[in-house]
Amino acid sequence: MASKLEVSLFGRTFKNPVWPASGCFGYGREFADHVDLAQIGAICVKGTSPEPWLGNAGTRVVETPGGMLNAIGLQNPGVDHFLNVDWPWLRSIGATVIVNIVGRTVEEYVEVARRLEGSGVAGVELNISCPNVKEGGLAFGTSIKGATEVTAAVRQATSLPLIVKLSPNVTNIVDFALAVESAGADAVSVINTLLGMSIDIRKKKPILGNIFGGLSGPGIKPVALRMVWQVAGAVKIPVIGIGGIMNGEDAVEFLMAGASAVQVGTACFVNPRAPLQIADEIAAFMDENGYSQVSELIGAARPQTGAEGNLPKLGETVRLQEVSTGKAEGLSYAPGGAGAPAPGTAPAQATPPKKATGPTADALRQFLKDSDRA
Amino acid sequence: MIALKDSRVKAAWLQEMGLVVAHEGDGEVYKLTLRAPEIARRAVAGQFVEVRPVPGHSASVDPLLRRPFSLCEIRPEAGEISLIYRVVGRGTRALAAIAPGTELDLMGPLGHSFPDPKVGSGRLVLIGGGLGIPPMAAAARRAVATGREAVAILGARSQRYLAGAAEVAESGVAVVTVTDDGSVGARGFVTQPLEAMLAEGSVGEVWACGPEVMLQAVKERCVRAGVPCFVSVERFMACGFGACLGCTVPKAGAAGYLKTCQDGPVFAAEEVELGGF
Repeated sequence: MASKLEVSLFGRTFKNPVWPASGCFGYGREFADHVDLAQIGAICVKGTSPEPWLGNAGTRVVETPGGMLNAIGLQNPGVDHFLNVDWPWLRSIGATVIVNIVGRTVEEYVEVARRLEGSGVAGVELNISCPNVKEGGLAFGTSIKGATEVTAAVRQATSLPLIVKLSPNVTNIVDFALAVESAGADAVSVINTLLGMSIDIRKKKPILGNIFGGLSGPGIKPVALRMVWQVAGAVKIPVIGIGGIMNGEDAVEFLMAGASAVQVGTACFVNPRAPLQIADEIAAFMDENGYSQVSELIGAARPQTGAEGNLPKLGETVRLQEVSTGKAEGLSYAPGGAGAPAPGTAPAQATPPKKATGPTADALRQFLKDSDRA
Repeated sequence: MIALKDSRVKAAWLQEMGLVVAHEGDGEVYKLTLRAPEIARRAVAGQFVEVRPVPGHSASVDPLLRRPFSLCEIRPEAGEISLIYRVVGRGTRALAAIAPGTELDLMGPLGHSFPDPKVGSGRLVLIGGGLGIPPMAAAARRAVATGREAVAILGARSQRYLAGAAEVAESGVAVVTVTDDGSVGARGFVTQPLEAMLAEGSVGEVWACGPEVMLQAVKERCVRAGVPCFVSVERFMACGFGACLGCTVPKAGAAGYLKTCQDGPVFAAEEVELGGF
């Protein structure tokens, strides 16, 4: 029998559902003396670009009540360094690795994905939500068109499992989840950091060199949990929950909201053992409460019948149809409005690039009927 | 500047519960003494610890991150370390409320130490400015223990901000004190006695810790005199062990950054661009 913490996502089994989040675990080296990296479900390594990126000048981190702001600027040594130095070492010690990829253009994302093809990594996670670099990130993550375009392009470039990490800095994250699902994503990570800032009132200037930074930590957990709940109710692909998880109970909340796995970021800075400790705490919770498999937790808090007050509103599903019926093969986003087709109308099927996982009337009916994916 | 062989030490760090054996302060500046035998055994002057500013096993997440402090005293025989800090924000305010007998969750020793005093030759000048004074106590003790001739120049705004000066003096090195207001020692800045010593030509090496404008001024004078200079810098950091990339210092003469936590906090002065913090 499988270990009780094992989870299966996109056809692959992971030892446990608690993964260090990208940007909070480097490439694992700093943790190797303190944690058995092979025991971690999957290590989401630092956002990696085609060429090395130097990152932002000035102050890069500052603590806030219950959280922290960062404006690192995706400093990373580039995909060649990963493939030549970090990956051989990670592989030799038996680590499971998901590579977070970043680029300034669609072509750069595609290039990193191509370079990773056949490397043996467990998947790629598109970072279209970093708030700290102007191109390469949020520009893609806050426009439906951009998110769809980059997801579709990487989908065509790789056979690796493709996760898209979504930005919370949008009006409705569900639209983005549906758009990237439609463009071929195998999973979505929900959420990246919330855009914020902090001012030094004595120096009369913003603390971060970049002025704005990404807010993470336990303070954002309720927001993240709400978004995981909404997205998990709308997409068919797995949702990976992220946002302020500090302990096993926090993680169980995300699983019960519908996440198939979680990522732990800020907690790793305080406690390098956080991912494994949280996995142990989930196991203890399961023992105490009579769960034998993590899958029993996934979506457990969701209503067993749809159309509950807390579920995404019908209008969101209507907009999903517009996305899939957009002009340029599903790549254009028509904002919702009076002209939206009535709910229940079968949408014209767009031609999704490569994989036919686009939203369908079937998806709509499924959602209305029962949003519990567990 | 004359490059020295890099004799800085970077030890394997660990997480250890440290028992607060003494904690005294005046509401603004505090000295915290901890029994943490393994960190005390491994630590070398210039290295730092990351302290969770809440009682040891507390699940509190506010303040959230650990706080980095350079070590003031390292006493492996007693299994003790001490650090001196000023209350500047929520983390240090929470820390100041911790009573003796409490355990604190520590990580350390982190980062690179000052160089090995045995490696260089000539008089070693230790410069501490304000809260840069306490780490110079550990440096002075190590210099004395290895028989290296050393003198300390300590500077602060006023007498009140000379915390750590007593610990430096206890090590046995000669101490020159300056204050902005003349309340202790000569009125002036640390660069004035430094310039005088450099002019004498007896200075073999300078180590400094303090505000970055002071470090920059010290560096300039050492460069001019051709004397090796090491500086200990301070940055906000989320982790302290190289993962967050939050504590970077710009490289001097090249694009890119060094990490204060891993590549520093003690750097050869010519490696880093100072004045940005």
